[in-house]
Amino acid sequence: MATQLTPILTKFWDHPQSWTLATYEDNEGYQALKQALTMEPADLVQMAKDSGLRGRGGAGFPTGMKWGFLPPDDGGPRYLVVNADESEPGTCKDIPLMMAAPHFLIEGVAITSFAIGCNHAFIYVRGEVVHVYRRLLRAVEEAYAAGYLGKDIQGTGYDLDVTVHAGAGAYICGEETALLDSLEGRRGQPRLKPPFPAVAGLYARPTVVNNVESIASIPPILLHGSDWFADMGTEKSQGFGIFSLSGHVKYPGQYEAPLGITLRELIDMAGGMRDPSKKLKFWTPGGSSTPIFTDRHLDVPLDFESVAAEGSMLGTRALQIFDETVSVVRAVSRWIDFYKHESCGKCTPCREGTWWLAQVLERLEHGKGTPEDIDKLVDICDNILGRSFCALGDGATSPVTSAVKYFREEFEVGCHTPWWEAFPPEASTLFNQRSVKVNA
Amino acid sequence: MADESKGGFFSDLFAPVAGFGVTFSTMFRKVATQEYPEVKWPTQPRFHGRHQLNRHPDGLEKCVGCELCAWACPADAIMVEGESNDDEAGLRFSPGERYGRIYQINYLRCIFCGLCIEACPTRALTMTNEYELADNNRADLIFTKEQLLAPVQQGMLPAPHPMVEGMEERDYYQGKVTQATPEQQAWVEHHHADHADGPARNEDDVEARS
Amino acid sequence: MTVTSDKSSGEAPEVEMVALTIDGLEVSVPKDTLVIRAAEQLGIQIPRFCDHPGLDPVGACRQCLVEVAMPDREGNVKPMPKPQASCTMTVAPGMEVKTQLTSAVADKAQQGVMELLLVNHPLDCPVCDKGGECPLQNQAMSNGRASSRFEDVKRTYPKPINISSQVLLDRERCILCARCTRFSDQVAGDPFIALVERGALQQVGIYEEQPFESYFSGNTVQICPVGALTGAAYRFRSRPFDLVSTASVCEHCASGCSLRVDHRRGKVMRRMALATPEVNEEWNCDKGRWAFTYPMLDDRFELPMVRRDGELVPVSWQEALAVAADGLRATRSAVLVGGRVGREDAYAYGKLARLALGTNDVDFRARPHSAEEERYLAEHVVGSTPETGGVTYADLDTATTVVLVGFEPEEESPIVFLRLRKAYRKAATKVFSIAPLETRGLDKLGGTLLPSAPGTETEVLQALAGDGTSEHMGSDAFAAARTALRDPGAIVLVGERLATVPGALAAAADLARSASGRVAWVPRRAGERGALDAGTLPSLLPGGRLVADQADRSEIAELWQAETELPTTPGRDTAAILESASIGEIGGLVVGGVDVDDIGHADGHEALRRAFVVSLDLRESTVTPFADVVLPVAPHDESEGSFLDWEGRPRPYRAALDTTAMADHRVLSMLADELGVFLGTRSLREVRAEMDALAPRAPQGGRTDDAGDPPSPVSVPSPGPGEMVLATWRTLLDRGTMQDGEPFLAGTAKAPRAVMSPVSAETLSIVPGDLVTVSGGGVRVTVPVHIQPMVDHVVWLPTNSESCDLRALAGQAGAVVTVTKGGAA
Repeated sequence: MATQLTPILTKFWDHPQSWTLATYEDNEGYQALKQALTMEPADLVQMAKDSGLRGRGGAGFPTGMKWGFLPPDDGGPRYLVVNADESEPGTCKDIPLMMAAPHFLIEGVAITSFAIGCNHAFIYVRGEVVHVYRRLLRAVEEAYAAGYLGKDIQGTGYDLDVTVHAGAGAYICGEETALLDSLEGRRGQPRLKPPFPAVAGLYARPTVVNNVESIASIPPILLHGSDWFADMGTEKSQGFGIFSLSGHVKYPGQYEAPLGITLRELIDMAGGMRDPSKKLKFWTPGGSSTPIFTDRHLDVPLDFESVAAEGSMLGTRALQIFDETVSVVRAVSRWIDFYKHESCGKCTPCREGTWWLAQVLERLEHGKGTPEDIDKLVDICDNILGRSFCALGDGATSPVTSAVKYFREEFEVGCHTPWWEAFPPEASTLFNQRSVKVNA
Repeated sequence: MADESKGGFFSDLFAPVAGFGVTFSTMFRKVATQEYPEVKWPTQPRFHGRHQLNRHPDGLEKCVGCELCAWACPADAIMVEGESNDDEAGLRFSPGERYGRIYQINYLRCIFCGLCIEACPTRALTMTNEYELADNNRADLIFTKEQLLAPVQQGMLPAPHPMVEGMEERDYYQGKVTQATPEQQAWVEHHHADHADGPARNEDDVEARS
Repeated sequence: MTVTSDKSSGEAPEVEMVALTIDGLEVSVPKDTLVIRAAEQLGIQIPRFCDHPGLDPVGACRQCLVEVAMPDREGNVKPMPKPQASCTMTVAPGMEVKTQLTSAVADKAQQGVMELLLVNHPLDCPVCDKGGECPLQNQAMSNGRASSRFEDVKRTYPKPINISSQVLLDRERCILCARCTRFSDQVAGDPFIALVERGALQQVGIYEEQPFESYFSGNTVQICPVGALTGAAYRFRSRPFDLVSTASVCEHCASGCSLRVDHRRGKVMRRMALATPEVNEEWNCDKGRWAFTYPMLDDRFELPMVRRDGELVPVSWQEALAVAADGLRATRSAVLVGGRVGREDAYAYGKLARLALGTNDVDFRARPHSAEEERYLAEHVVGSTPETGGVTYADLDTATTVVLVGFEPEEESPIVFLRLRKAYRKAATKVFSIAPLETRGLDKLGGTLLPSAPGTETEVLQALAGDGTSEHMGSDAFAAARTALRDPGAIVLVGERLATVPGALAAAADLARSASGRVAWVPRRAGERGALDAGTLPSLLPGGRLVADQADRSEIAELWQAETELPTTPGRDTAAILESASIGEIGGLVVGGVDVDDIGHADGHEALRRAFVVSLDLRESTVTPFADVVLPVAPHDESEGSFLDWEGRPRPYRAALDTTAMADHRVLSMLADELGVFLGTRSLREVRAEMDALAPRAPQGGRTDDAGDPPSPVSVPSPGPGEMVLATWRTLLDRGTMQDGEPFLAGTAKAPRAVMSPVSAETLSIVPGDLVTVSGGGVRVTVPVHIQPMVDHVVWLPTNSESCDLRALAGQAGAVVTVTKGGAA
């Protein structure tokens, strides 16, 4: 049985003015909030737990459980921070969601804040996406005007302020504690844990940090019930998620589907490979920080457990598809350049390791590698993985180790042949009419 | 013990000159004595002789004043003190940051083991084959930097002077500097005329000698 | 000293212990101990860079990775999936730790991190000042691979940049452990350096608008685990292996820091802080670290000199001593000794006065002082030590409330400042300062200002102790202070400046008593506490014995085997000695280590001019032009002795350099011999034996007969138009002669400025950046103005900074000065 798409958050993205409050209200918008405000906060937390919603930011931690970690109310402030610093190469789900239907997020923020007893929520948006930042600001403005935010929301006496904050452009600020540091006005570098944000987060107060998609999923869950949500997906990975397909497929984009769908199904939905004559070579299941998969993994169900069982991570469901015209070494080299540039510099393995990996890969890419380089790469990765301060370093090793695992011979080619000879770039172009022989 | 009762005519006859036989036969043998000091014999190339402080091809000193030779010396014969090169004051003696302001080897202590030259990170300190190291007083056997420095050879200019234009310290070690440039030549002519009596930094050599 | 001894705080609560195994060895350590420290207790050294016991854990370098297994809820010990940083992980019961010694994983992790650290570290160890004592070098040898597999391009920067005049930063060498930035931020409270940029290009940066002018910047050089931060003064000076180290104590203030003096071939090359947990922990201030060049300057005395035809000419010791003895024998003489000499030397000065010169005219206070202060010191301070219940550094760590009066800790006793900052950070100690303005130092202590014009400290203290009917009651700060003082265990720290405020010292003692707290006197100079206990005061004999007490006198006379009775009447203090000398009542002065301008007495120069002056000094000083005989003495680094720090804790030091220079006590012994008196202070052993023979006597408040009524506080003069009340104290780095010869240090001294309130500024139409001229008492200085909230009609200036010498006015609390705008008026 083929899995069907489940357009929920993406349901009305094709509306000419999908982002407005009016459109949203026409699509059950803010009904969940009205309902939530009549409920007990504890029931809302329980609902999130029952739904089985797991964090959509990559790690997949149960959202309801995270809310439950907050210490009992001590009268002081507590905060909700939405991590909208989507910067992972290949990941493109939060930004289109906030662009097309920002009110899902805002309603989710309001419900979550009410559930955890927060009166000031923050949305930390990646600074480079100014258009999204503006749209979010406008949406928050609309929500204030409509009485969904601000003082005495819907006459219930509940107050909530939402601040939209634009980051300054650092990948590390997607790490939750670095994000909190950045939000406080410091340099974004991960904090020592414990204390965890639930105990001492923003301004050393209890804080919940959630991904955009997790929060945006809350209103539909509330409206339709946690059972409705839990019925979707697999046994341990319940619900739906936005899968962003990019690369060599016919119709790249966001596909909202239950967890557990396979790439084969998704590629079919996306119209097949961009050039049907080229085979799928490798792909990332969850962005560049997750070990790559090959065509052998086309039928792996894309849920947390199945992907992990195959040695990768579901991550942010950022499916980057590469066909056989692409040099793995070159792709990995680009990714490592990214990590080298984005390493915050706090800990040694990530800072120095990415610096070193990038140089070795650069050599392999240009056919100037040495036979020792491949084992050296793997060993450097071994010295980074699990030794670095936060997950950035771990993530940086994933593409390298998995690429060597599946495509070692291609790295060996890098000891003598530059990438443009092994993988002529014109083979990857659509406009190229000549037939090009592919070496891979 | 000689047996006096034995002896023939001929032996008695030649007895008085027999002793010259040794002398005579030796005259045709290879001479074993070394006629030092009239004739100076060459040593083996690896002979450990007097030290030398080498220069880069443009005449800058290789010594960086790191004191590793002094550290390695088992006889405590070497004394070094470092100092910053100072381009602004026209006092650059070596490429890089640091040079050896004071360099002394006490040849009354030196045992010529060569550990110092092994320790030298820049190959500044090497040993020559010169072995004539005797004197009639102790003070003169403490060799100072001026005595130990290698002679200025073709293409070199005596330090201090600036580094070759556009070169960094590492270029010196990568052999990219081959000789002094005309700019350096001009600099030296201009500045050494000002300080005819040499650089000003060595006045406390004597004070530091202990 | 104790006003009320708080006996209840004596017993520390039982510490909860946690048992764990490290490398199979069992160890029990207090709860919350870090794994790396627990391993140290077993003698297992885990390599580390960012970890430092004085700083909060950060876990940045990842060098200290170990394998850890923890028991789960059922008690099954399960290994953690990844190696853990032992510098951030606290111990847990049943934890099993495997270090590099027993775990291949930990060993490989450490070697891997070490290899990575060296990826971007230059191989310039031969020219690096840290070479030979470098934790990176050492640990690369112990926990690294023999060779590197890195064959690519290292990150390079131009060689060192000055981040202050005394600290150089070599960014290539930096391994980004953040020790320096954390020290500056956490310990010193001067976050003027911070990490900037990211990835491998991360580097220590300075804030362009605020230079790295911290009094504690030298500590960053010392704790840097590589040669990234080096001191300009020590640059390329020597190598650790040819340095000889001597443990010593700092001579610059009464904090009593332990120092390591590193010297080579008879010359001090550098000084480092030495760890003494109960005093300076692991830190010291830049003055203590870098101000050691003064004895090496050209004006150092090498031979005795006598004045002939108006000129000082070098003579033999014999001749100089004979001239000195003749001059002193011919007249009534007095002894002035600065607060800089060691305890044993001070003792010899006191003994010389009493035994050889037959007078009690001896005083160590070469600074503004008062009779009231003398009485206070005799009653409350002398004999106070940690053993007799005096306030200690450890007490500051845990104090609930600290009140500072006439005392600016950052400037006057920097280690007290560091302790107070630690107390503020770790124990939430509330600090209040009775001063005219809130300084940055007070700000760093999270302190609250109790505003008071100079001279009104007594009123404020009395109001704090009183029943709450004072006019001060209105302010929030005052109310907060009164509330805080309700908790027992408050500590009042009084500075030496309070001597000139009538009634203030007594009021401080009263406040401490009423708050069930204690009070401690923190002098500025290193030798003052020792000199006090050595009896170098007109009314005090050694060991707190009183001149006025017959039994005490006899005890000392017996100890000294005096042939005649000791002088019975208390002598004159410094001011009175100078007055008497200036009118010829005193004809001879033995002066040791005094800068006469420091006393701030109008008769100072005249007194020296008239009297026969025997000067025991190191270098040319303000006394030298008046000296009839100059006897050279040994500087701190060349003599052995001891100080008492402000706690009363003995701080013995040894001579770092072995020279022929003689200590003061030896010279005085020779002088006494020439006077025909056996002083018995030839050797340190003799002096110490005598001092130790006196039974310690704890302070016994209110013993002296003439306690009388405390003088009523003078009313502060109300300044007229164009006039202001002067507030002044010395900054740590100033024109003090013991900082001579160190240009790099002087480069970080605060520039002098006049600080006044917006109201004051408005009355003179002054705007920020203007120059103002402050004049009064024959002094006139012109400095830039700084405007900040403070007590109105008060102007603050440093006492003795470059082109700002106000020492002549500092002796009078609440001196009125004329302030005019501009530099010409």
